Amino acid sequence: MSFSIKKDGEVVVVDVEGQLIVGNRQELKQKVLDELERGERKFLIDFSQTGYIDSSGLGVLVSLSKKIREQGGELRLANLNDDLKTLFELTKLDTLFQIADTRERALQSF
Amino acid sequence: MTELASVLAAFYNATQCEAGVWMRLGALDAAPTLEAGTANAPTPSRYPVPAEGAQIVASSDGDVLIAAVPGPRHAWVALGPCLRTDVQLQDFMNFLLPVVTQYLQSALEVEHAANELAERYEEINLLYTISEILGRTVSLDEAAKTILKEVSETVGARRASVLVHDRATNTLQAVAALGVDLASVQPISVDDPCSVSARVFRTQHPMLAEGNEHYCPEESSYRRGAMLSIPIMWTAPPPHGAEPLGVVNLSDRRSGHMFSAGDQKLIAAIATQIGTAIQNTRLVRASVDQQRLAHEMQLAHDLQMKLLPNNTIVAPDAIVAARVVPAESVGGDFYNLFRLGGAKTGVMIGDVSGHGYQAALIMALTMSAAAIHSQTNLDPGDMLHSLFTTLRDELTTTEMFISAFYAVIDPVAQELRYSNTGHPHAFLLSEEHGLERLAASDPPLGMDESRPLTTHRPWRPGKDLLVLFTDGVSDARNRDGERLGEERILNVLREHRHSTPDEILGRAFEVLESHTEGAPRRDDLTIVLVRT
Repeated sequence: MSFSIKKDGEVVVVDVEGQLIVGNRQELKQKVLDELERGERKFLIDFSQTGYIDSSGLGVLVSLSKKIREQGGELRLANLNDDLKTLFELTKLDTLFQIADTRERALQSF
Repeated sequence: MTELASVLAAFYNATQCEAGVWMRLGALDAAPTLEAGTANAPTPSRYPVPAEGAQIVASSDGDVLIAAVPGPRHAWVALGPCLRTDVQLQDFMNFLLPVVTQYLQSALEVEHAANELAERYEEINLLYTISEILGRTVSLDEAAKTILKEVSETVGARRASVLVHDRATNTLQAVAALGVDLASVQPISVDDPCSVSARVFRTQHPMLAEGNEHYCPEESSYRRGAMLSIPIMWTAPPPHGAEPLGVVNLSDRRSGHMFSAGDQKLIAAIATQIGTAIQNTRLVRASVDQQRLAHEMQLAHDLQMKLLPNNTIVAPDAIVAARVVPAESVGGDFYNLFRLGGAKTGVMIGDVSGHGYQAALIMALTMSAAAIHSQTNLDPGDMLHSLFTTLRDELTTTEMFISAFYAVIDPVAQELRYSNTGHPHAFLLSEEHGLERLAASDPPLGMDESRPLTTHRPWRPGKDLLVLFTDGVSDARNRDGERLGEERILNVLREHRHSTPDEILGRAFEVLESHTEGAPRRDDLTIVLVRT
């Protein structure tokens, strides 16, 4: 379980490897907030290597989305697998996020 | 000196000459005393210095030949008078003086060795005492105080202190002090440029500050003159290595002598013991905290289970079968049932995000607030919005949210009205339409401010079944990590649709248990089935 952060143009791209759960959510949150504090405003979280997100993980995504918006920034999600897509649809979380099928499309949408 | 007395007695038998060994103990002008001698050895009137060699001096019984014994001791051999007159006392002196010199030298070495042994004995005894203290107690303050007392007695220090690093404030704080009031020792910042204790803690090396060297006013309470300061180290297993935990200071030595390399070595050994004690105390405290936390979790879990409703409270208007199987820790699943009058029944299921004590508290709050709001809001969307308004502050500060489904079943009007905020698994099982998902119209409470929608469906009393379960059920894993999946549960419902809610619930849990085969649960499992 780890997060790698890199810059693609103006966008901070975060890869979530493994799971996003109660045990590692604070790490993701802190990493993204650190970037936000440094002045970054465009964020993309890529879930292509993510198997599972628990409810605490979802909570952190919502909280990050709010905090980024408050600073005039944007958060996009990309590459949710079928299970995660269903989860977002069933819980109506898809209404709270801009979700793209691929990283490229997400990057173009900024 | 009985051996010396025997030698002199043998000398008398051989020569009929009196002989005495005189020694001056203490002050330089003190009169020497007879250390060993023959029966009538007279007291000489003068004691020559070594450079004078053997001298004839007067005594109470006439002249005697006296010579100083070479070596560190102030000692003399005095010969005479003799019964015979034809003796050469100088010859006897030439023979006896080296014998006495050799004897006194050996005696001195034995004495040194004995002193050395006594010191080592004291040190070993001290280490034993400390081990015993540490074995007996888990209170660091008490152990530190006793150890300090023993150490100070052994090295003769009148002032001593044990300072321990406080991680929260990054200061050194006194946990034990000798010769000074503990309360008067102020915490010292680890970064303090002047303090010897802070420097020793930072460098992890012992330091002997002589006289007023490195004098620091903040340390005046536990320092008088020279101070020996030793770091308290604790060596963790690799890869962590040694970590400084605090400092031991000794000062104001009774003898006025400097602290020696031996003292430093001894105190370093004891500092290691204190380090172990500090670490043990911390571990014990952490373990006690852990136990307390586990106990609190158990209480929270019991509370959670007690808050769940008795399913018969809505009878005979509704027949409910429901079961919550909590995860190992306290989870956030809950359901609630309300009698709303006019045969109407309120049914709620929810999942507070996260686990643990905080989730349990939010859940308890939700349960009680829902009981109030359900009575005043007959519209499910209104009820969930009122619930959110009550919980908004709690949810915001804790960054938690609640996925919730709330339905009001009216068998008289034959209508099911519901509102779904992010709850994934809610279904209506009916004759006409089979299984129909009652999908969420809004995200979970706490994620969004908008008022949730209310939707309605026809409801056939005695036939239709409201099916609610949480994601712990569809996400339940077997030992290979495979999910049960929603469809497997839905198939059980379809197959047993004509059975009673209790029977259907039993079947559903059979499928669940045969899938998981006792694999550890990572989430709560909740199923609620309602028929009217």
